[in-house]
Amino acid sequence: MLKEKIEKHLLEVQKPSRYIGGETGSVVKDISGVDVRFAFCFPDTYDIGMSHLGMKILYSLINERENYWCERCFAPSEDFEAVMRENDIPLYALESLDPIKDFDFIGFTMQYELSYTNVLNMLDLAGIPVFASERSDELTGIVVAGGPCVCNPEPLADFFDLFILGEGEEVNLELMDLYFEMKKQGASRKEFLLKAAQIEGIYVPSLYEFNYKDNGTISGVTPLNGAPPVIRKRIIKDFDKVYYPDNFVLPFTEIVHDRASVEVLRGCIRGCRFCQAGFIYRPFREKDPDTICRETKTLCENTGYDEVSLVSLSTSDHKQIDEMLSKLIDYTAAERINLSLPSLRVDNFSESLLEKIKKVRKSGLTFAAEGGTQRLRDVINKNVSEEEIMNTCRIAFAGGYSAVKLYFMMGLPTETDDDIRGIADLAQRIVDLFYSIENRPKGKGVQVSISVATFVPKPFTPFQFEPQDTREMIEYKQKLLMDSVKTKKIKVSYHDPDVSMLEVILAKGDRRLCKAVYAAWKKGCKFDSWDEHFKFDKWMEAFEECGIDPAFYANRRFEYDEILPWDHLDYYVSKEFFIRENKTAHKAITTPNCRQRCSGCGVTARTGGRCFE
Amino acid sequence: MNRVRAVFEKKGRAKYISHLDLNRCMLRIFRRSGLPVWYTEGFNPHPYYSFALALSLGFESSCEILDFNITDDSMSLDEIRDRLNKVMPEDMRIVSVKPQRLKITEIAKAEYAVFLASENAEKLIADVQALMNSDEILVEKKTKRGFKQVDIKPDTELVECRKNGAFLEITMRLPAGTQTNYNPTLFLDALKNAGSQPFSVERIRRIGILCKNNEIFS
Repeated sequence: MLKEKIEKHLLEVQKPSRYIGGETGSVVKDISGVDVRFAFCFPDTYDIGMSHLGMKILYSLINERENYWCERCFAPSEDFEAVMRENDIPLYALESLDPIKDFDFIGFTMQYELSYTNVLNMLDLAGIPVFASERSDELTGIVVAGGPCVCNPEPLADFFDLFILGEGEEVNLELMDLYFEMKKQGASRKEFLLKAAQIEGIYVPSLYEFNYKDNGTISGVTPLNGAPPVIRKRIIKDFDKVYYPDNFVLPFTEIVHDRASVEVLRGCIRGCRFCQAGFIYRPFREKDPDTICRETKTLCENTGYDEVSLVSLSTSDHKQIDEMLSKLIDYTAAERINLSLPSLRVDNFSESLLEKIKKVRKSGLTFAAEGGTQRLRDVINKNVSEEEIMNTCRIAFAGGYSAVKLYFMMGLPTETDDDIRGIADLAQRIVDLFYSIENRPKGKGVQVSISVATFVPKPFTPFQFEPQDTREMIEYKQKLLMDSVKTKKIKVSYHDPDVSMLEVILAKGDRRLCKAVYAAWKKGCKFDSWDEHFKFDKWMEAFEECGIDPAFYANRRFEYDEILPWDHLDYYVSKEFFIRENKTAHKAITTPNCRQRCSGCGVTARTGGRCFE
Repeated sequence: MNRVRAVFEKKGRAKYISHLDLNRCMLRIFRRSGLPVWYTEGFNPHPYYSFALALSLGFESSCEILDFNITDDSMSLDEIRDRLNKVMPEDMRIVSVKPQRLKITEIAKAEYAVFLASENAEKLIADVQALMNSDEILVEKKTKRGFKQVDIKPDTELVECRKNGAFLEITMRLPAGTQTNYNPTLFLDALKNAGSQPFSVERIRRIGILCKNNEIFS
């Protein structure tokens, strides 16, 4: 038993309750009645992974099936990893404390590019060969991945047996059923993968051959052994009726988001041109206010949480937002539950809505303005006008708020110095607005915080073709912004441009990057998203040793007629639409949101349904 | 309003729940139980409850004390206990729920069972006795103003020290409560520093919370 070995050293490490399981709500099954075991791995620490809603949904969904058992597994922190390696403790799952090496599925959720090296490290800790090609032909330990990053999984292609595109609620059980059947028949890994490739939404990377032109771009992708030429993501047909967990695993230790979360809608009507989530989760689907209330109530009762958060890309786009909030607030107020509402958009932030939120709790006021000038906001299709931002701030200031946080991006397509100065100007006008308001909060100064990220062009967005600014360009723009800010009431913070560069390379990279990901991990890269662990120089060394030019991926414009590394994957939104949107962006023309007018992104045509009644 | 005192166990994996985490955990236990616990009436109402003593991370206990108030006077103590036990995390169990008899300030000491593993238990027993027979037991104790040297000998009561299976079991009473708190690890550090037979700590369990006259606090 691993338990004794683990416990022997558990008090030597930080927050030991992360490594021993036994949390309320965790599902423990009698192994004798279990046919398929699934290790749901989050490639980051417990504190982060346990906050992830997708894992909670899929965990419960699988465990609803009596003979399937889904367990959780996270990346150990550095101190515990050292203990594990020193004492030969293989990576194990938290419910049974059994090594995940012996599981039927080892499934990772890929939420951000900077977690790629953690996957390799976790496989290695588990004692599973890092390269898929080095795994035995026995039908066991299938290494799979899902999540937003698998819309371009090529930089991970060598490490996974298969990828799951789209919504796991729809396809995971189908995949496990196939496995169970074939296991009974004594099939091999290869045979299983061939069959799995025929399931809609399953992409088996080893069944595709990539060829390249002399200039380094892709000349063609050839499917092998009858694999489909195009792999289309899976979507849930009836979102209102889709499975939703009635209980969460309750961590003992503090995690990032420690509350009940209820999903109110999926997809987004907005079409901001930089936003991957806005496209890959289409079509837009909502839950009925009654469903949302019922799920909230059940979760709060079963977990004992006194805080619930509504989850979506844009909660205020829910058609019945007012009705939904009224109903929810009736319940939460009576039960003394805090309701938190992230993802409210600035442009439809009404006075009545603000009143409702104020009744609940006064938290921070945050706007994602993204661009400093109207022209640039039109380019990126962030359909927010300065007037709307000012209006919202006016309402908020009069309502007692005195701190505003604004998010911007730097390095957006067509950006000029004026756009950068525009960020400072906009912040300044918000400061001025505050002091022009009669009934502003007394005795307090205003604080406008500006957070500036470096733009990362992502696959499956109209900006997928765009190059990223070089480090020199970003540094110049950062300095320009600093020089344009004239008051201490405006605070500016930046993201590290090196991090953003690695992000874009991994986001837009092709299969040739796998060896660099491996080399970087071998050099000690892991937890790349953590400032204290990020080793840019090691990554650059890895690229150089593997003969990879980072600028080819980061700073080069991908042509419209180029075969992109993700062109054989179909997320329902068509490439023609992205090209059209890219051209429209360069003319600084906006596209109305889906509710105002259908822009023909391809989802409606190909799902055969309609996004809106 | 019924002011009640629960005695609960915290064993097995639950010993890795820190005191701070236990606080948060308890809040959810109350909410899951649906018991009519009394809420504070301030700006941010929350169920009122308090632990008599903090328990170090990694220690087990059979006698932790939790005070809270139930607004429904007609509810039986057994029902309160049972409803809590239905929603308690693994390895935690309410032993009893009774009226609050004594004031928290009556707590004077805590009794611990300390299990040590050693290659030579007899020698270690002799080392423990020798340490107890010395004139003073000086240890470095962390205080609010940094570290301070303290003689823990006058307040350390050795109840028993014997071989228990493969282990050496020391039963000892140490000051606890609102004034002074000694952690048994202080004594173990002193033992090590005195050059004792090498040992490793297998398990520490709090087995009693006592008043000055050794009466069980309840």
